[in-house]
Amino acid sequence: MTTGSPPAAAGRATLGARVERIFDHTPDTRSLFLSLTSGKHLRFVPGHFISITIPLGDETRSRPYSIASDPEDRGPFEICFNRVEGGRGVAWLFERRIGDTIDFTGPFGAFTIDQPPDAELGFVAEGTGIAPIRPMLKLALGSASPRRVHLIYAAQDRAHILYTNDLERLTKTFENFSYETVIAPGEEIYDRLAAATQSRWVDRDADRTRHLYICGVGKGVIRLRDLLRGAGYERRAVHYEQW
Amino acid sequence: MAKLRIQFENGDPEKVIEFDPAKAPFHHDGRPGSVLDVMLGHGIHLEHACGGNCACTTCHVIVKQGFNKLGEASEQEEDLLDKAPGLTPTSRLGCQAVIDDPNAEIIVVVPRYTINQVSEAAEE
Repeated sequence: MTTGSPPAAAGRATLGARVERIFDHTPDTRSLFLSLTSGKHLRFVPGHFISITIPLGDETRSRPYSIASDPEDRGPFEICFNRVEGGRGVAWLFERRIGDTIDFTGPFGAFTIDQPPDAELGFVAEGTGIAPIRPMLKLALGSASPRRVHLIYAAQDRAHILYTNDLERLTKTFENFSYETVIAPGEEIYDRLAAATQSRWVDRDADRTRHLYICGVGKGVIRLRDLLRGAGYERRAVHYEQW
Repeated sequence: MAKLRIQFENGDPEKVIEFDPAKAPFHHDGRPGSVLDVMLGHGIHLEHACGGNCACTTCHVIVKQGFNKLGEASEQEEDLLDKAPGLTPTSRLGCQAVIDDPNAEIIVVVPRYTINQVSEAAEE
């Protein structure tokens, strides 16, 4: 039972966005390119997500989607997502068409880079976990620092390694950037990521000054966090977002 | 019955929920029996931009009474709380702070500001 006045109203401004473009990376992985209905530009930092209002029957739910585009791009911003079994929110998003509008709040999030730390940076992405990391890479490489930046990117097959053209371009443009891919079935993917992480950032040297950023789905993200912190990286140098 | 009293720093009227923790979940977001779950299940709004998945701090609450009656915070929750504005020694994320004691009497304050407060400033 409750006592008191009616429920407190939501305290956040809802923004509207129009679907400008749809891009299918694979049959089950899609990007929507969105522009604000106000005609303004969404201000965000790499790593932010928006919380989309999704109508499901008689109720609405808010579901988060990371922004995959560069905040410096003045065109539509991009969210990237994949179908998940029983995922009603994402099923609704797959039904959106060009010209449709969606409501959202945000941007939000604590897994962000505003000012890159003055250190070597390591990134680990699993599947669509590349979405928030993609603009982070551009920010980290776009600043003047010659810091080394390396990405370990895992997916269930080669087709689900997204943004390969971007990654190749970054590799050619920046000598201090490199990346490697891990292809493994879902049940093995974090075993393989843990092995790659251990090899590159734990066993290879005693340097523990790097900052590391991990994004993926499930408890494997926590496993990678614990691996790195257990190996001597400072707690606040190991950043992660688990979906 | 457990009792959850919610106070709002923005001046909204206080709410009181009496509930049976054994009946959790009450809603579909946050850990079952969490402050968020209890509030949403009783028609009281609490921000949870990440869907109650422990990936943001928008459900930050400050526990004024009954802090030790709540389930322990995970390292993940502590990591996020580090980034919450207005952090206090009794801060918790509403989506993670589970009330499972049927005799608990918890008082929480919903702070006025949470991280990445949204306003028109999100547009430029």
